Amino acid sequence: MTDEIKPRLVKCFAAVFPGLPETAIPAAAQDTVKEWDSVAAITLVTVIQEEFAMEIDLDELETMTSFARIHEYLHRRLSAT
Amino acid sequence: MKLLEALAIANKTSTNQADSRTFFLACGFTPLHLLTFLKAHLQLQFPDLKIEIATGVYGDLPGNLQRIPQAAAGAAVVIEWPDLDSRLGIRQLGGWSPKVLPDILDSAASMLTRLEIAIAQISCPVALSLPSLPLPPLAFTAGWQAGGFELQLRERLARFAASIGAHPRVRLLNAQRLDRISAPVGRFDAKSELLTGFPFRQEHADMLAELLAALLRNPLPKKGLITDLDDTLWKGILGEVGVEGVSWDLEQHSQVHGLYQQFLGALADSGVLVGVASKNDPALVAQAFERADLLIPRDRLFPLEVHWSQKSQSVARILKTWHIAADSVIFVDDSPMELAEVQAAHPAIDCRLFPKTDPMAVFALLEDLRDQFGKPALSEEDQIRRDSLRSATVIEQASAADSNTLDDFLRQADALVTLDFRKNSGDTRAFELVNKTNQFNLNGRRYAESEWDCYLRREDTFIATVSYRDKFGPLGKIAVLLGRRPSAQPFLAIDAWVMSCRAFSRRIEHQCLRRLFEEFQAEELVFDFVGTPRNGPLVEFFAAFAPPGPQFRLTKAVFDKACPALSHSVKEIR
Repeated sequence: MTDEIKPRLVKCFAAVFPGLPETAIPAAAQDTVKEWDSVAAITLVTVIQEEFAMEIDLDELETMTSFARIHEYLHRRLSAT
Repeated sequence: MKLLEALAIANKTSTNQADSRTFFLACGFTPLHLLTFLKAHLQLQFPDLKIEIATGVYGDLPGNLQRIPQAAAGAAVVIEWPDLDSRLGIRQLGGWSPKVLPDILDSAASMLTRLEIAIAQISCPVALSLPSLPLPPLAFTAGWQAGGFELQLRERLARFAASIGAHPRVRLLNAQRLDRISAPVGRFDAKSELLTGFPFRQEHADMLAELLAALLRNPLPKKGLITDLDDTLWKGILGEVGVEGVSWDLEQHSQVHGLYQQFLGALADSGVLVGVASKNDPALVAQAFERADLLIPRDRLFPLEVHWSQKSQSVARILKTWHIAADSVIFVDDSPMELAEVQAAHPAIDCRLFPKTDPMAVFALLEDLRDQFGKPALSEEDQIRRDSLRSATVIEQASAADSNTLDDFLRQADALVTLDFRKNSGDTRAFELVNKTNQFNLNGRRYAESEWDCYLRREDTFIATVSYRDKFGPLGKIAVLLGRRPSAQPFLAIDAWVMSCRAFSRRIEHQCLRRLFEEFQAEELVFDFVGTPRNGPLVEFFAAFAPPGPQFRLTKAVFDKACPALSHSVKEIR
């Protein structure tokens, strides 16, 4: 499951942060990516919803602050289904 | 389009394209995904450019309109109800009591006046969208009743739209088209509006952006339509049922053909060239066109290619008569085989099947044709194009005979060439001519409206808009020259020069250059010439003086020596 999620999540990050090298994406976090503002955060959640065909409550935005945390969130959601 | 796809389009092209254009998205809400979709759709509309989008600040639509820079390539202005009065939204709690409704109406009317003034002052093209989201349930009537408050509000909005829509730079988004591609019930996202200030569902933002981008692109319309006759312009095979047997009415269950005739008549009267390619008996067709109940008069159709040869040959002759390329033309026929034959010979032509047995499909065809031929406004030239092509045919025949015949012909033509040197940036015809002319075109360069305005604002530039009339009638504005007079230099630099093909063989191009030499006391003209696949007529003209090449130079001495006799009267307007 993890292997399937990661490349798709990388694709989402690459779309929202086109200036971020692909190798740097797994380590990306709100604190370290200056383009990661509130608009980018909403855009990121929206493309993740599209890519993984799932609804994400915008209230979850507060916790989705890094690639790793989002990856973990997706793993949890997709494992539960 | 999905958001991921929109981001991919925007990101991919933004790193490849060198020439950039910045558009402005003016709205009172958070632009969020609308910005992304607009950027993607504009990128698709302008694939050779790098598109950038600038925006304003949240909650200040009037201020954002004033923030639109003069150099913007265009502005997408999106009005929603809360922009007229924040009580018409759900993020502000100003009260919905029946007592405040008159005040909301007044404040909305004031805001509309303010917006109209601000939009009219924008110097770039404006694509304007009126409120597309539902009004909140603030009035006291049930939802199924259109109450006085809502009717009055919409009436004020409609008056605003009619007024601002008449402004030459403003193009209003058609609500009927938006309704078709974005169901009203699926547009509003209350949760997103409350959490982020972005009120649209993604699908609606995508559709809205697509139409706004199309308005800003303002694509050039097709120029001509070639139609079949039997089972297309009318129901029935003329050779089988005779002149009285063909029909286009309700009684004969052939109303769709009447609608098509009516539509073609409207196209012809708005400047579209309409020709006929039919395998038929010419004498019978001539009789059919005598019928008084035809909805498109015979004189609206030019030329008529009626014989038994291949339709591709008819199409080739019509294109030659019209002086336009196949990609500017739509061919309509009820026979898939004929369509295929024409398509094979003219790959660039747009072939459409006339779906004679399916009224809904005919209606859809007419809507599609309207899109292909649609233009923001009609010009004087639209009214005279067909007649001037007819007279051009006569003149070209004289031209083909010998130069003495042409000299005599032109001498007796009572021709008047008018050169208008006024920099009237509101003259859309000059702009349109430069951007759509292919054959007599110095370099094929197209101008964005903002570029055009910037060019004309420069002090060292000039424009000559050329009109022509003779005893055969007016041709209207048929040529444009754009140029510069570098300071303290004896030459004129010509950056753009186009002339409509309807004006060929009248030596108008020679007269234009003669007037430029004289008007500016120039010793030499330096043309920014670039050969294109289509500008053969311009190359041929230059070749009479010297072999053309980049920065083609023409001295007055060389011009005077090779210039043929010019017998026009000339009028200049400054």
